[in-house]
Amino acid sequence: MVQLTATPLSALVDEPVHIQITGLSPFQVVTLQASLKDEKENMFYSHAYYRANKVGKVDLEYDSALGGDYVGVHPMGLFWSLKPKKLLTRLLKKDVMNSPFRVQIKLCDLQSPLRNQDTSTSMVSVTLERWYVAPGVTRIPVEEGRLRGALFLPSGEGPFPGVIDLFGGIGGLSEHRSSLLASRGFASLALAYWGYKDLPSQLQKLDLEYFEEASNFLLRHPKVFGQGIGVISTSKGAEIGLSMAIYLKQVTATILINGPNSPYGIPYVYRGYTHQSIPYSLQFLSTNALGFIEFQGIYEKIGVEASQSLFPIEKAHGHFLFIVGEDDKSINSKEHAKKAIEKLRRHGKKNWTLLSYPGAGHLIEPPYSPLCWASKMPNACTPISWGGEVIAHAAAQEHSWKEIQKFLRKHLIPVVTSQL
Amino acid sequence: MFQLTATPPNGLADEPVHIRVTGLPPAQMVTLKASLKDEKGNLFQSKAFYRANEAGEVDLERAPALGGDYVGVHAMGLFWSLKPEKAFRRLLKRDVINNPFKVTLDLYDSVCLQDSTTAQPRASQMVQRWFLGPGVQRKQIREGRVRGALFIPPGEGPFPGIIDLFGSIGGLVEFRASLLATHGFAVLALAYFAYEDLPDKLLELDLEYFEEAANFLLAHPKIQRPGIGVISVSKGAEIGLAMACYLKQVVATVCISGSNAILEIPLRYRDLLVTPMRFDWECIQIHVSGAVRLRSGNRDSRNEMNQQSVLPVEKAQGCILFIVGENDECLNTRAYAEQAMDQLKSHGRSSGKMLVYPGAGHLIEPPYAPLCFASWSPALPRPVLWGGDPVAHAAAQEHSWREIQKFFRQHFSGTGSKL
Repeated sequence: MVQLTATPLSALVDEPVHIQITGLSPFQVVTLQASLKDEKENMFYSHAYYRANKVGKVDLEYDSALGGDYVGVHPMGLFWSLKPKKLLTRLLKKDVMNSPFRVQIKLCDLQSPLRNQDTSTSMVSVTLERWYVAPGVTRIPVEEGRLRGALFLPSGEGPFPGVIDLFGGIGGLSEHRSSLLASRGFASLALAYWGYKDLPSQLQKLDLEYFEEASNFLLRHPKVFGQGIGVISTSKGAEIGLSMAIYLKQVTATILINGPNSPYGIPYVYRGYTHQSIPYSLQFLSTNALGFIEFQGIYEKIGVEASQSLFPIEKAHGHFLFIVGEDDKSINSKEHAKKAIEKLRRHGKKNWTLLSYPGAGHLIEPPYSPLCWASKMPNACTPISWGGEVIAHAAAQEHSWKEIQKFLRKHLIPVVTSQL
Repeated sequence: MFQLTATPPNGLADEPVHIRVTGLPPAQMVTLKASLKDEKGNLFQSKAFYRANEAGEVDLERAPALGGDYVGVHAMGLFWSLKPEKAFRRLLKRDVINNPFKVTLDLYDSVCLQDSTTAQPRASQMVQRWFLGPGVQRKQIREGRVRGALFIPPGEGPFPGIIDLFGSIGGLVEFRASLLATHGFAVLALAYFAYEDLPDKLLELDLEYFEEAANFLLAHPKIQRPGIGVISVSKGAEIGLAMACYLKQVVATVCISGSNAILEIPLRYRDLLVTPMRFDWECIQIHVSGAVRLRSGNRDSRNEMNQQSVLPVEKAQGCILFIVGENDECLNTRAYAEQAMDQLKSHGRSSGKMLVYPGAGHLIEPPYAPLCFASWSPALPRPVLWGGDPVAHAAAQEHSWREIQKFFRQHFSGTGSKL
């Protein structure tokens, strides 16, 4: 009797699942297919082919996928290789509190990968719940002063290390990373800064005082450690994160994921001072073989002023964790991190760590998130290429998530010294 | 006064166009955009950003594009970098007689990103790209079982006869045949499935059908005797190679991106049955774009288990030109061609030639055709990955087209009799 097991059936999205099959014929080749329907009813699919061993067993922790959406030994491959049926759709959980993503794992006889995924007949299947929030985590909508966002608090009394979570060009409010961080013991403020509620619908300038307000709000919170907060930030968000680390003494630990080392496109203002930005050099934009836009070239620095526009990163008091996807197509992340670190070195600073991942793209997310290689953005007609190779990107997500938590704990949880 | 010129404004699709802009302010940044609607209304577009020189000119034969769909000096870049608005569509001219592809060139006096209606071009030019030269005649063929279209150059002839075969796209694809005819060959674009009363699906290759087509050509008063050529791509090239091996009527064969073994479905010729080498479907990988990478399921034609599927190229009486792209993601065409070349050598034959193009993908077409990196294929619910690096692929198309014509001319002028 064929049995398909997956444990645990219900878990946080950043937890691995152990998938096994028993009761097959010796050396039988089977297809495992995963499917997921997102909140907008978009379907995502992945599949891989496995050969049972001589006792008719397949164990994804030891066995190698022969082909499909990945090859080799990858216990979580079915999750991170999910691809949208409607091409260029990005998988993003909006409601993180009330529902999980449900992933159905189906076992089928070997079939051509080119059969219709919607109607493949299965021998047996199992449905898993993948949650973005652990039991006991609370979500508090934030509408204090100018601030707009959502604060996620772990269960318990605290105090907890506080983190501000910033995403990039997508705008609006992305909560999925904050809810997971809260599930791992951090008080995380998912902060919107444009394209959300009464915030500006376009980014025309970046007012650092808004982010300072957010930092003070978090620090003031009774369940947050009062010594300093962290920032985790991606892409344009990382540009902001970098400026926060430099200008706001409240920020003592900053994670910069695939961000630029200078201000681009729009000016920064802080207490009456305007920091000019480097204009994007749109003429250096390129496209890949499928016509998707690669933005890397637009960060070219032309002219003397531009080359001197690097953020004064040496002024930051806290610690930096640079996370770089070397296959990032939307910004030459490796080069930007390198220049920023060079500047720190020149000033004798050692307050940085670099994690550089070959084959990882721009959108480095929590573990097991499907690689989003290209997607359509709201304001662009042409899809944008984010880069990344599926297997390497998945490895980068797994590794960096652990490092992110280690980094935040190390620099935000005060060391308790003995009173003896 | 901005001026945008494109010469010639009406030309053959395999001829270059010289594009120039004059009357700009010195060092002005401009965007040149090309757009085309195919016969089904699908939009294809490309663009590149240039900086005018001191004299306010941009000459695409000299000026480098700074960015956009290509970088560097590429006089025809706007044509071969055309991309479909809806990903995975392939550009293919169906009606070669009645109308050309119309490419609109637009000049914007800034770096213009959005394909929007708000920005107005400062100058526009329309260029017609024809797939048929003056005087070339097209005749619909329905003789015996043979289905296709015969293109005859103007004049008395006789002309070298060539059969043109495409691949698993099926139906009748005429644009290469019509272009080749414009260069002095009598070309039969031959359909073999999914066309008129031919079988809907390709379940087996019946070489006698292709022999009928070869004999039909040889019987034509305007076609040279005693032998014909074949130009073939992909699945068509597998058939082309089989024709070269088994049919004495075939004296010169061009195999583009083909296999040297019969794949997936059997080949039949009189009482000969060649069993196919199959794909390893469980090894086939999905590319990050979601397209299927058939190459990952290719079997090794040198493996002794597969020898009964390998075509006996040493039996071919004529010459064979193998054209392969190293970045072919559908078939390991380089390995297949190399094995065929080794086979010829080991039998003391010097009738084979191989052109290997680094960076070229599977769909090597006539010059300036846009690289089709992946597209929907009739048989499959997912797009198929063809591969190719745009710049290298464009260069391969230009070079191979010249070589193909040279190959046929060399061969036919040597043996053809003008009776």
